[in-house]
Amino acid sequence: MLQWLRPAEIRAEKAAKSLLLAAGALGLAAAAAVVFFIGVESWPAWREQGAGLILGGEWSVGEGRFGALPMLAGSAVVTSVAFAAALPIGLSAAILTAEFLPARSRPLARFLLEALAGVPSVVYGLMGIAVLVPWLQRGLGLLTGRTLLTGGLVLGVMILPTLAAVAEDALRAVAREKREAGWALGLNRIETLLHCVLPEARAGIAAAGLLSLGRALGETIAVMLLVGSLDRLPNPWYDWLVPGQTLTSKLGREAVEAAVGSPQYHALAALALILLVVVAGLTLLGQRLSRVEGAAR
Amino acid sequence: MHRRLKSPGNRIFAVVVAVLSAAGPSAAAPETLRISGSTTLTPIAAKAAERFRKRHRGVRVFVSPTGSGAGIAAMASGTADIGMASREIDPDERKRFPKADFVVTPAARDAVVPVVSAAVYEAGVTALSLADLRRIYSGEAANWKAFGGPDAEILVIDKEASRGTRHVFMGAVFGDEKAKAPGARLVTGSNNEEQAAVSQSDAAIGMLSNAWMNERVRGLAIKTADGAVAPTLENVLSGRFPISRNLNFVTDGPPRGLAKRFIDFVLSPEGQSIVEELGYVAVAETGRDQSGKGR
Repeated sequence: MLQWLRPAEIRAEKAAKSLLLAAGALGLAAAAAVVFFIGVESWPAWREQGAGLILGGEWSVGEGRFGALPMLAGSAVVTSVAFAAALPIGLSAAILTAEFLPARSRPLARFLLEALAGVPSVVYGLMGIAVLVPWLQRGLGLLTGRTLLTGGLVLGVMILPTLAAVAEDALRAVAREKREAGWALGLNRIETLLHCVLPEARAGIAAAGLLSLGRALGETIAVMLLVGSLDRLPNPWYDWLVPGQTLTSKLGREAVEAAVGSPQYHALAALALILLVVVAGLTLLGQRLSRVEGAAR
Repeated sequence: MHRRLKSPGNRIFAVVVAVLSAAGPSAAAPETLRISGSTTLTPIAAKAAERFRKRHRGVRVFVSPTGSGAGIAAMASGTADIGMASREIDPDERKRFPKADFVVTPAARDAVVPVVSAAVYEAGVTALSLADLRRIYSGEAANWKAFGGPDAEILVIDKEASRGTRHVFMGAVFGDEKAKAPGARLVTGSNNEEQAAVSQSDAAIGMLSNAWMNERVRGLAIKTADGAVAPTLENVLSGRFPISRNLNFVTDGPPRGLAKRFIDFVLSPEGQSIVEELGYVAVAETGRDQSGKGR
């Protein structure tokens, strides 16, 4: 099928190439502009509040005090709960579809997971209010079912598809020879999985975890509806059955109201910057891990 | 191969172009009115918009329930034509938007009512004084027993700082519209969200517009020197109920054009009868009153 390109085709190819380049550059520029914009907009808050912005426990618009510690703690707690809930289930789902299900039923399993990812966030939030909130409230005898734990559990369901899909890809990418080597040594399926496949896919699974952590941190509406939205640190710190606030729920509740240029607006931009930096860091690390694995193979 | 692939692609492209050009002219023409703000006013504006659209063919009215603070900010920064506010304009807001010429047009009257879960109400807590509310929201009193209710911890529900209902409630209870509520155990935003949180609990107290009560969310009377005053429409109208307020439309300068036509419609007898149907108090003559006079 080798053939010479005609001049017109060469021109078309060049045009397509520069078009793609321009589109790519535009995408990068947009991303850079977002970071730059949030950085600039949050600068007055950093200058005013200094370390108090991160270490301060009180957020009071009227008094001009903006401490993000309750939100930082809330985000950490909610994300940890989500991760702890999603990891065993997501990993099991990935192992099941990649290793044990017949090839025929894989598309179905994949479809179900992707359907889970396609449900809008607000629907998870409302289902949480209708089902999980009263259930936790009654079951655990809580003052209210809107707690850090509630937000975290629903978030766990929401990151499940990301976790399972990326982990499954990592498992499927393990070369067939590794499994065959295991079988040749007389290992059964479970032993092959544990000793040949999982160690090989370790970096990819870690990447799945990091990417889903990033997703969990950035999720807004569902968490906002379920977490209680109280700017208060859990006391003692391990009591997660109380209402709290996350970075995203704070932004979701206050961003529309803040006047552009007000101290509140700059402080919210600072929260957004913190969120952006952490999520970008997790995503980069996740991608690097999956790339390292790809290169090693 | 190349040629054959091309033609169906072209046909799809042609269809897309045809659809776009058909949709184009009709999408550009209609007049649009953007209304944003208080979730207390939203039912009035939404119902009025529905009738308004029927009278004025081709006019588009968008009503977004975002909260009073957000609505005022949206109006002042030009992303909405009318702001809905369940409170008056705050001096801070005038400072934040020096260029905006805030003009407030009351569309209805309403009370902010302390509400409790049905279980609390049925156990006997049917009225509280402003001082009682102060003790509850400041965290000094944390059990319903102190008010003749069940032996249960109080789920004190606060609202987002920017909400009009909160401004009015805190103004009446603490004498400071921006008072902090250290006793709060939960924060909600819209009336809907607050209503859901109160009805899902059996020990909650919250603040809601008078038009948002139901069997699971019960309004309390307020104890005053001359007895308990219930949030009846008469008491709201006469001002005897201590936490009353106007529900306002806010515009930049006197209402003009489509915004004026809409506000005039809400203030007309037909518009004011919508206000009454929804459980708020009319500020102008209603259709019902007029027909009564005719008879």
